[in-house]
Amino acid sequence: MKKILLFLFFIFYFSFFISAAYAADATPTPEDMTSEIRDQLITNIASRVAQLKLVEKRGIIGIVNDITNTQITITDFQNNTRFVDVDELTKFSNPAFKEAFGISDITKDATVGILGLYNKESRRILARFVNIITIPTIVHGGVSAINNEEFSLNIATEEGKQVTVSVENLTKTYSYTQKDDYIRSGFSKIKVNFNILAIGVLDKKDKNRLIATRIIFFPEIPSSPKVNAALEKVQKSK
Amino acid sequence: MKKEKLILSFIATLFGLLVAGIAFYLFQTTKIVPNTTTKTVSIASPTPTGSPSISLTLDRPKDEGVVDSKTLVVSGKTQSNAVVVVLTDSSEDVITPSAKGNFSTTVNLDEGQNILEVISIAPNGESVTSKKTITYSQEEF
Repeated sequence: MKKILLFLFFIFYFSFFISAAYAADATPTPEDMTSEIRDQLITNIASRVAQLKLVEKRGIIGIVNDITNTQITITDFQNNTRFVDVDELTKFSNPAFKEAFGISDITKDATVGILGLYNKESRRILARFVNIITIPTIVHGGVSAINNEEFSLNIATEEGKQVTVSVENLTKTYSYTQKDDYIRSGFSKIKVNFNILAIGVLDKKDKNRLIATRIIFFPEIPSSPKVNAALEKVQKSK
Repeated sequence: MKKEKLILSFIATLFGLLVAGIAFYLFQTTKIVPNTTTKTVSIASPTPTGSPSISLTLDRPKDEGVVDSKTLVVSGKTQSNAVVVVLTDSSEDVITPSAKGNFSTTVNLDEGQNILEVISIAPNGESVTSKKTITYSQEEF
């Protein structure tokens, strides 16, 4: 019995506690050196490729929330907070600014376009170009009223908003129908309840007035049911 | 002698397992919840949301992408009888999708950041919008 236990003990001991022993390496040959250099190069290239894959060029637009000498915090279209790093290589510009424009000239609530290197790991952008931009406003809905004297029309949106659209001399008006396709049209062809899109800039004095640069209307497509529902809601509340 | 020891240890193991089994069974019976404290809860089906019946998927371009060409290919899929409006800061296009709902068009970009807005409008007026930021730049950095 003792012999068996001793035998089992030795098997257990040698199975678990044996450590490998290696003979000392001989003096490296030129082939070994070449192999070592090759392995090192492969490692370096792989590391660089991984680094390049981690960073990519990106362009974003957002509204400035906070600004420091090294960082701009913005809110993008999806309401996400984005962190933008700036350094001595970052260039700043503003079309409305004739003199030199810098980070200190950027104000809170300004709309900025940022072009830079996006790091997928840190999710931050290292800005190379920061520009102050103006974004055109797009209003989509149904025509709820037309004022032929003032060359303006009202668009009711799905959100229940009423936007007055001013049609100027420079406003380009287009229509789309199955038969005629996409053609140049005019203000007089627009009727109430047409589905309509207006692109332009909001009046600084009246935020509910859009000065249209382009109008596209669809005589064959009515206002969205959501627009009608929103209109009814507004009328009932009055 | 050896045989006796072996049988005894076997019986002892069996006895131990039996005792442990009984103890486990007794412990489990104490965990039974009386019927008076149980209650049936029914989960109501979610209220249908007012999401539009029309769908829109943009395959190209990639959001926040940077391109070095002034023209940009926009492609995607929507309802086959819808009208698709593709808008950028300076250009627009109105197209109809194929029978399978696929559409593709080319738009011009301005230097710098551009907002690409694609609106798909169904014949009943319902619409769905997809908005992307595309930057046209030839700067090397």
